[in-house]
Order: sequence, then C-alpha cells, then structure tokens
Amino acid sequence: MKMEAMSLSGLDNTKLEALAHDIYSDLVEDACLGLCFEVHRAVKQGYFFLDETDQDSMKDFEIVDQPGVDIFGQVYNQWKNKECVCPNCSRSIAASRFAPHLEKCLGMGRNSSRIANRRIASSNNMSKSESDQEDNDDINDNDWSYGSEKKGEDNQTCPNPNSPRRSKSLKHKNGELNFCRLAYNYNSGISYETLGPEELRSLLTTQCGVISEHTKKMCTRSLRCPQHTDEQRRTVRVFLPGPSASTLPDVDAVVESDGYDVSDGQALMNRLQWDGSSDISPSDSASSKASTNNSDSKKPKKKKKPSLGLSSSGTGGTGGGTGGGPGTAGSGSSSQGVLSLPSRKKKPKLPAPPTPSIYDDMN
Amino acid sequence: MSKESQLRALVNQKLIEMGERERLKELLRARLIECGWKDQLKAHCKDVIREKDSEHVTVEDLVAEITPKGRALVPDSVKKELLQRIRAFLAQHATL
Repeated sequence: MKMEAMSLSGLDNTKLEALAHDIYSDLVEDACLGLCFEVHRAVKQGYFFLDETDQDSMKDFEIVDQPGVDIFGQVYNQWKNKECVCPNCSRSIAASRFAPHLEKCLGMGRNSSRIANRRIASSNNMSKSESDQEDNDDINDNDWSYGSEKKGEDNQTCPNPNSPRRSKSLKHKNGELNFCRLAYNYNSGISYETLGPEELRSLLTTQCGVISEHTKKMCTRSLRCPQHTDEQRRTVRVFLPGPSASTLPDVDAVVESDGYDVSDGQALMNRLQWDGSSDISPSDSASSKASTNNSDSKKPKKKKKPSLGLSSSGTGGTGGGTGGGPGTAGSGSSSQGVLSLPSRKKKPKLPAPPTPSIYDDMN
Repeated sequence: MSKESQLRALVNQKLIEMGERERLKELLRARLIECGWKDQLKAHCKDVIREKDSEHVTVEDLVAEITPKGRALVPDSVKKELLQRIRAFLAQHATL
C-alpha cells in the first residue's frame, strides 16, 4: 500500500488537534510510568523511606515559615540596631559602621593614612611661608617653585620636599593653591581681577594665563598648554598688567639660550626647573635684557625663525641691558618680573614676527 | 484500517524516526521536574505505599494510583509548550 499519497494537510484542524493531544497524552503517560518504575524499585530496594528514619533530626531541620525570619529560622537584620562602644574614643557607634570608624579612630588602615597625607600636604601648602632661598637652591629635584624668586610676597607655595607627590601636576597644584585665597575656582582657573600686579606677573610666568571667553578666568595650565596658542598668551600678557608684564618664556628665545652663561643658567635651572626633563637647555631666558646681553656673542647657534626675533630683541635688549646694569643683575631683576624657563631645544612652531613686539613692550 | 489510524501510525513512526519523540520526552521530563510535579507525585506515592503494605506493593498498583493523578497535576504552561512543539512538528512534516 502506497503511503506517500497520504498527507496531513488533508486533515482538518480538529483532527489535527486531536492527533496532537494524543501524542501529548502518550508522552505524559510515559513520564508517569517512568516515575512509577523508579519508586517501585526504590521501595523494593529499601531506600525509598531512608530520609524519614530519624524523626528528631527531621524536626530540627524543618523549614521555618515565620515572618521576620528566613527558612532556617535566622533573623536577618539582627545586628542592625546594635551599638558598640569604641574603646578609643568611648563613643557609641552603630555596628555596621564600627569597623570604618575604628579604622579612622585608631589611625590605622589604608584610608586614614591617605587622608592624613592629604591633610598634611594641603596644610603645608597653605600655611608654610616662603622659606629661604638656600633651601630652594638645595632642592634640586624639586618641582619648580615660581614663588622662590619673589620678594615681598607672602604665602608663597613652597612644595614640600618630602611630599610624596612630586610631579608636574604638583607644580600646577602649588600655583593654584597659592591663589586659593583669591577668587579661585579649582576647575577653571583664576579670576584675574582679583590679582595684584605682582601675583599677576608671577602667575603669568608660570602658567598659561589665557583668559577663557566664557568664564573670564585665566588658564592655569602650563605655559605650553595645548589648549591655547602662544599668540593668546602674548595677548594676555600685553593686555593685563601692562608693559612690565612677563614675557612669554617661549622657545623663541631658544637661540639665545645656547649662548647663555652657564653659571647663570645653572642657577636659574636650580631655582626654576621646567619639568625636570633632560633636554632642557640650561640657559634660556625669556628676558631679553639678560639673555641678549650674554648671547649676542654666541648668536649663530640655532638659526631659524628665532633669528628674526633675535636681531630685534638684540637691539632692544642691549638698550634695556645697559639700563639694567650688568647682565647678572639684569637677569636677577628681570627674572623677578619675568621668570624665564629653560626652553627646549626642539624647534617650536612659533611665529617669529610677534616676538619683536613683546620685546618692544618690555623696553 | 481507517485512514486516520494509518495516518497516526505514520506520524508516530515519523516522530520516532526523526528523534523528535525522544526530544519531546526529555523536554517534558525536564519541565515536570522544574515545576515540582515529580516531587508532588512522589509524596503521593509515599502515602499510597504507606497505606498499602509496603512490602507487597506492585507496579500495577502504583500505576493505577499514580497515572490519573499525574495527568491531572501537569501544569498548563508545560502542556501548552508541548502541544505547541507537536503542532509545529506536524506542520513541518505535513506531507509524509
């Protein structure tokens, strides 16, 4: 008999449903049978009632079904309300807060040491006044403290030589902290209206200082901060304090740097360290007076755009230099207002033309 | 000898041949254990056995007691799922 001719599609829906149900019943019956066999074997083998032999232990481990208690009979928040007395400070502390409190109370543990360190660092920065210059000289690998050159400025930030956080970031932090008494917003910068001229100058020699359009605050990032161009920085320096403002200690003066006196450079280096990087040319000084005085003889070291600036600054510098006295004195005084940084030897992409204007302003 | 019974036989044969029956059986077993059907029935077994003489209980006794209860205790969701699978199979293999 040929079965291929048969097709389920020939059946109507009810018949199909009936078929499906039949199949399903068969399956369920199979399952029941399986269970029966299993139980029957267990009974015959004697292990069916094994877990019911010990009545006492059965009562012990019975499932608990009461409110406020889990199925084992344990109370879940039993220790929430308990209070303990701290042996150190004799205060009554909640149980769940006891361990952290003890950590802080006894001064042991990771967090408390971190907090203490932070407090020391901040209190050092706030309260410690400007130490002797010798100290700063001695601290060779210290972060650059722009305040070391200032005279008559109180509340200078002297980076703690023992601070564990000697780093570039600390330098900026010092600068920022120094002005914390003024209108200071940690995140965005400093409001220049509140700065005095000396502070302003010191700020401008260490930090970018570009005034943000939206917030009217000065940028507190480094002098080479990538957010602002040197143009902007020059503008700020022209705009804000007037002609005696600090010049941009940018790399335009790299040329002069080479010819700069080593001794002067070293002293400068010691006092004003720029990132501590090794490629610092030891003699750069943005101060045209100081540098051009000494570097005129050694002009032809690096010749690129800076040559332009050099010539103009040379003229301006000599004029200023003579007025300022000997080179070192000039450097000293000028550096007071114009903290120069040893610049890198890399070729910067600075536009040469603007340089003369700054130097002109200086004179 | 009716066409219908022939058809049924054919369908069953197909189910077994393709391994679908085994799969369905496994699926059903798993679902019944999950939903606690097996434990319920086992407890019922215990009562039955305790009533009768536990030494002389036979498979037939058990089957007679258990199967109707077992069929009734299957939860609806499991039943629906299985029926769905069966219908899908039938639809897929409409032409035999």
